[in-house]
Amino acid sequence: MATTALTPAASAYRSGLYEWITTTDHKKIGILYLVNSFIFFFLGGILALLVRTELAQPGIQFLADEHVYNQLFTMHGTVMIFLFIIPMLVGFGNYVVPLQIGAPDMAFPRINALSFWMLPLGGILLFLGFVTGGAASAGWTSYAPLSEDRALASTGPGQDLWIMGLTLIGTSSILGGINFLVTIFKMRAPGLTMFRLPILVWTVLVTSILQVLATPVLTSALIMLFIDRNYGGGHFFDPQFGGSAILWQNIFWFYSHPAVYIMVLPAMGMISEILPVFSRKPLFGYKAFVFATAGIGALGFSVWAHHMFTTGQVFLPFFSFMTFLIAIPTGVKMFNWVFTLWRGQLTLSTPLLFALGFLSMFLIGGINGAFSAAVPVDFALQDTYWVVSHLHYVLFGGSVFGVFAGFYYWFPKMTGRMLNEALGKLQFVLVFIGFNLTFFPMHQLGLAGMPRRIADYASDAGWNDLNLAASIGGFMIASSMIPFLWNVLISLRGGEIAGDDPWQANTLEWATSSPPPPYNFDRLPEIRSERPLFDLRHGRTRAITATSDSGPAPEPTH
Amino acid sequence: MTSPSTLVTTGDPGHSVAEHNPVAGLAHDSRGGISNPILGMILFICSEIMFFSGLFAAYFSVRATATTWPPPTQDPRMAEHFNLHAEPWFAFVLTVILVLSSFTCQFAVWAIRRDDRTGFLRNMAVTIVLGIAFLIGQGYDYATLGFGLSDGVFGTTFYTLTGFHGAHVFGGVVMLSVVIYRGLAGQFSARHHDAVEATSLYWHFVDVVWIALFSTLYIL
Amino acid sequence: MSSSPGTRPSFGSILAGIVALLAVVGLLYLLVRYGPEIVRSFFPPDPVTSQGRHINDLYTIVFVIAAAIFFLVEGLIVWSVIRYRRRPGDTELPPQTHGHNLAEIIWTVIPTIIVIFLFFISWQTLNTVEATTPQPDLRVKAVAGQFQWTFDYLPADGGADTKPLFSVTAPVGKDGGLVLPAGKTTHLYLSSLDVIHAFYVPHFLFKRDVVPGIVNQFDLTIDADQAGQTFRGQCAELCGVGHRIMVFEVHAMAPGAFQTWYDGKLAAASATPTPVPSGGGGGPVVDLTAKNVKFDKPELDAPADAPFTIHFDNQDQGTPHDVDILDGSGAKVFDGQDFPGPGVRDYGVSPLPAGSYKFECSIHPTFMFGTLKVQ
Repeated sequence: MATTALTPAASAYRSGLYEWITTTDHKKIGILYLVNSFIFFFLGGILALLVRTELAQPGIQFLADEHVYNQLFTMHGTVMIFLFIIPMLVGFGNYVVPLQIGAPDMAFPRINALSFWMLPLGGILLFLGFVTGGAASAGWTSYAPLSEDRALASTGPGQDLWIMGLTLIGTSSILGGINFLVTIFKMRAPGLTMFRLPILVWTVLVTSILQVLATPVLTSALIMLFIDRNYGGGHFFDPQFGGSAILWQNIFWFYSHPAVYIMVLPAMGMISEILPVFSRKPLFGYKAFVFATAGIGALGFSVWAHHMFTTGQVFLPFFSFMTFLIAIPTGVKMFNWVFTLWRGQLTLSTPLLFALGFLSMFLIGGINGAFSAAVPVDFALQDTYWVVSHLHYVLFGGSVFGVFAGFYYWFPKMTGRMLNEALGKLQFVLVFIGFNLTFFPMHQLGLAGMPRRIADYASDAGWNDLNLAASIGGFMIASSMIPFLWNVLISLRGGEIAGDDPWQANTLEWATSSPPPPYNFDRLPEIRSERPLFDLRHGRTRAITATSDSGPAPEPTH
Repeated sequence: MTSPSTLVTTGDPGHSVAEHNPVAGLAHDSRGGISNPILGMILFICSEIMFFSGLFAAYFSVRATATTWPPPTQDPRMAEHFNLHAEPWFAFVLTVILVLSSFTCQFAVWAIRRDDRTGFLRNMAVTIVLGIAFLIGQGYDYATLGFGLSDGVFGTTFYTLTGFHGAHVFGGVVMLSVVIYRGLAGQFSARHHDAVEATSLYWHFVDVVWIALFSTLYIL
Repeated sequence: MSSSPGTRPSFGSILAGIVALLAVVGLLYLLVRYGPEIVRSFFPPDPVTSQGRHINDLYTIVFVIAAAIFFLVEGLIVWSVIRYRRRPGDTELPPQTHGHNLAEIIWTVIPTIIVIFLFFISWQTLNTVEATTPQPDLRVKAVAGQFQWTFDYLPADGGADTKPLFSVTAPVGKDGGLVLPAGKTTHLYLSSLDVIHAFYVPHFLFKRDVVPGIVNQFDLTIDADQAGQTFRGQCAELCGVGHRIMVFEVHAMAPGAFQTWYDGKLAAASATPTPVPSGGGGGPVVDLTAKNVKFDKPELDAPADAPFTIHFDNQDQGTPHDVDILDGSGAKVFDGQDFPGPGVRDYGVSPLPAGSYKFECSIHPTFMFGTLKVQ
């Protein structure tokens, strides 16, 4: 229901450049995050296309210098993780969370702005490597002592720029996490108890805890690597000088494993908003879902060494057990989602299509990850294309599909206009097919023995056809971005007017205009469940009549 | 900065809470519970604890795998310099200075909670002086230690740990200076002094880290 | 608005549907045409070691459970999409089920049981795979460096630090690779010269990292009926710009053939005196240095029809290099003996007719090569 008399045009973002640069409004900052993240998505995608072009056939095609190839996949991974998926999800959180809890903004708006602007700066630092003798090229995991550049193919300042860029981006992440936690704990509307929070808010909450506690450990690793490379003489991580290569891996993965939950939990939250709306039923098992999310967050800190099973330096049974355990809350969530659909009334709009894509692809990604939890099987699969398949199924098939689902779902709220459904469906079909064509064959490639991070492979290894298929799939994914971009372009100008609540949705952000006024709400519904708007629409609650502090304290209507 | 709670009111604005209950004067907001900036500082301190955990983890890992500690060196004088156990007294003095400064910082907080602005300013000034004294002392210690950042695993871990701690002390001194400046400008009262509480929490954290460092590097 | 029930599908929707249909048809075609190979491709290569066989069995069990779960859950999703589409007559809300305690307990408990079962069988398999025998039949140390594998054959009672009896520096080919006796147990040590590498043989279903400062070790027992077979292996941990060229072969030999090969290698190692860098093979001296897996000169000059000496300085610690000369057709006209650095050797080259030749390090041919102008 509309809470203000403003038309969408009145609060449209016609603000000038200065406004965008200096804004502290969470909605504008959220959009800045989204735009910035999409730019890096495309840059990271180009890096991937270069990799796939080289790998399409055996023999070196155009990357004569393998040093360049190593930079391509290093930067692809780094950019996609730190400049695309994590900030993209933070951007959605930034836009949607304050609205969903009925707050006027985030707890610390200026720090929110600072957190954003650190990102393009961090990205520039990372990419500067390309023009200063070579970007980082030791993989996004930057294992020591290779990343200490002591012996061969030194990248020069590129690896140091990588360290600096990531330190900046990590700080942005930590500050953002603090901001979300204080906002969610302290700024909820009256009646919004913790167990009435939208699931997206819960997932952002757990993600923020992970960001605050895990990211600083990465910062410490990066700083130690920097000292090793520039001042210390390699004493932390270079065995030649008394350090331990395994120490780097332990500290790095202590962050980087929780990081994968940072990369997927908010996307799961978005799916959990979309499935109920498009099934016309509540989320199945809300409380179990909350506990499962918290469980995943906690367990996520105990499994890091499963990335190190083949080092021979890990207490294998413990990490194998904890890794298997994480499958249980993840499975609970999977069933909760599926049974939200069950016996519902599904409308196959684009947001739901992408959500269904998420479910199917994340299922595969979770399952193929379980293989690696069985330690001896990991001995066969680690560092092969099987792992590349797994990580892309969960991060692309999972998180990125979740991102597109969220984008189609909340674009009307952000802009006041609907995206074109036909173009959306076309994008979905292209990216779904392209994605599976690219990454499913990588299961086979990994099983057959193709290692990761090689610029070329023997023509008699039997890997030619699958690599070609994967490369074709990669270009198909790229092609799916064309209807997407076209859709955004035409919809911004001439899309159907959305109105407050085009989806007949459940949560508070749909209780204000599209886009919302700067202060978000004139009025709020009574909040008595996790679906306040649904309750309002079906006569179970009423609207609170006035909330401005210019008058006397209001009595809630009965 | 407006209190964010007034836009969606529940009723009682809540300043009566502090007036009736001085202990709850600790950074309240009208909805009860801890104030936003202080919660933010606590979370920030949590993140800083995790940062130092990474550094400590590296130190302990390196030390656990070394057969002897300090590790053997070719230069016999270096081995002597590494023996921090022999002369911990200067570092002990630094510890006393920092612990004292935590006390004076807390006195300053208690003062402003009672609206005793003079007491607050005096204690804050002493805290800053002690903080600066610590930094100068740390610098002097560095100059006389006899080994550097690149002198073996020992040197690297020692300077990394104490160096980042020193940087955090420096940041703390800056924060304290801002607080005293704002205090002199009359911006703090018993009812509104979130920045003082938050800064003192940070300062205590810095002190606790030093105690852990001192114990680890000089005693253990 | 967007696709509310009952509206006519738009052009874009039709296009999307056509693409989807084509994909399904294409998939079905592939399944029918390549069925058995496709099924085969979901499994690792047939294992050739006893350890690998245990891993393969574990994989199969995990695969069956994984496939069952996949079809169950995916089936539920597909079924929901087909059966529970909103129809034009659906104006009433569907039953607003918030949860179901029994169902939720069941789907928590059953996965827990499955997961615990998987953990136990993995742990058991792990213990079997990691088990080492106190008296292996052979001890070999695989030394990984940037960018080659060297295999040091150790004495029967030796360890990772024992001086090897002989070394194999050519990673592939009939004169190289890791030669092992089939049907016997080899204890393998892994040692790194520089950065982290990984010893990976797909047919063993096994890899282990080679970490500098640490010596990982494990037992390998190739099946007796694999005698005569060759398996490819490759470094599986990014180690720099030469990562992809660090391939090696494992040759399994019947015990008799292996013994012959082994004795031959022993004899060659003890017979050849440590070569003394002689002052001259006669003729002019050409200087060449190897450093950081690169030659310092891309071009060398030598006189035609006269002997000359290549004064070769290998500055790469622990890394074997050599200098071979090939003619225009790729045939080797000079084969220098490889040796690990640091060290200097004088290669005496017999007279060559005038022309343009290629010189290269046979161990790192893609990194270390150049042109030799003989005139």
